[in-house]
Amino acid sequence: MRRLFDILGLFKEYFLLALFILISLLLLSSNDTSQIRSIRSLTVASVGYLQDILGFIPNYFALKQENRVLREVNLTQAEELSRLRDAVIENGQLRRLLGLKEQLPLQYQAANVVGKTLHLLRNSITLDVGEREGIRLDMPVVTDAGLVGKIVSTSDHYSLGQILLNRDFRASAKVQRSRVDGILVWEGGQTVQLKNVAKTLDVRPGDLVVTSEYSSIFPPGIKIGLVKNTSQAPGALFQIVEITPSVDFTKLETVFVVMHVPDSSRVTISRRAAH
Amino acid sequence: MPRIVTYTLFSLLLILLSTTLLRFLAIGDIVPDVLLIWIVYIAIREGQIAATTAGFLIGLTIDLLSGAEGMVGLAALTKSIAGFLAGYFYNENKTLQTLGGYQFLVAVGVVSLVHNVLYFLIFLQGTDLSWWKIIVSYGLTTTLFSTAAALLPMFVIARKYLT
Repeated sequence: MRRLFDILGLFKEYFLLALFILISLLLLSSNDTSQIRSIRSLTVASVGYLQDILGFIPNYFALKQENRVLREVNLTQAEELSRLRDAVIENGQLRRLLGLKEQLPLQYQAANVVGKTLHLLRNSITLDVGEREGIRLDMPVVTDAGLVGKIVSTSDHYSLGQILLNRDFRASAKVQRSRVDGILVWEGGQTVQLKNVAKTLDVRPGDLVVTSEYSSIFPPGIKIGLVKNTSQAPGALFQIVEITPSVDFTKLETVFVVMHVPDSSRVTISRRAAH
Repeated sequence: MPRIVTYTLFSLLLILLSTTLLRFLAIGDIVPDVLLIWIVYIAIREGQIAATTAGFLIGLTIDLLSGAEGMVGLAALTKSIAGFLAGYFYNENKTLQTLGGYQFLVAVGVVSLVHNVLYFLIFLQGTDLSWWKIIVSYGLTTTLFSTAAALLPMFVIARKYLT
């Protein structure tokens, strides 16, 4: 304390001047004249300029605190980024589905895939929509990528869809370019086959295969996939057409059930003829 | 009578004079700053602390009396600094020689220049006048006028004490 007084005594002229200047400046700042406003703006500009020049000098005392805050912000933003990325993917999927919905003049019911089997002979998906939502047997199931399958069982709030990769699945399909028809079946693996295509008919790898007008269940023109390759067994009348489905069943999350009820009389007569 | 009372009374007299009669000595808008000459005198007689305090109190009184046209605190600020600066001319062994010699004029000139430049730069902020014009038109002319006015006390002291 005594040392403090010694220092004060040694520099008393300066302390006194500083005190008087401080009081004067306080008095000056209490005025509201154009001069004071002008000085204030000048001061703000000068201080801003100085801060800009001296900004490169790090504030060591605040760095630790700043680092801690930045780490917290980083963590929060990383979580947010993750959520946003999910939202972007979901948004893209929904936009594509919406685009599909606007493209075709059919009624659709959106559904989430809540269950899925892909490694059995009779693979299927479970959807979170059922009879309450108007889902009926044999309604086609699609995504923006193409045909997924059809409804084979329903309850009040859930339904079961038979997908292309199912031994019991059949669909009438055609090659879009050459209008060659056939029956779509699955015999295992990641591809489906177009059966009953005569050897002489024009089918090439890369051709787009869609549902045909002969189908009593599926509306015509729904994309199924692209021809992967064609082969001919010796002595056989028909060629083997391998098709890669346009739908990636492993990533199936959201689908649309086409609210297209097949003409029952047509279905009946078709089945009778098949038997 | 204690010297502080003498200084106070004389300060009040000069304040009264500067706010009433001194305008008759004005050349254009410029008037000699007799209070500043008085502060320099106090600085040379009593030292830096006394001059700084006197400058502040005299400036504050002027601010309160005149309102300084909405700039209360400006005279207190500039005259405190002037008193502090004038304190550097203090030499207790040569007080009368300084007051009665050219050193007094130098002190008044230097202190007045700093005081006036500072005062007018703040007082004329926000006007269309450039800094250079403020310094020349107001700062230098008032300084010259005040320095010329300081000749009178210098001659009086020189004649009374140094001859």
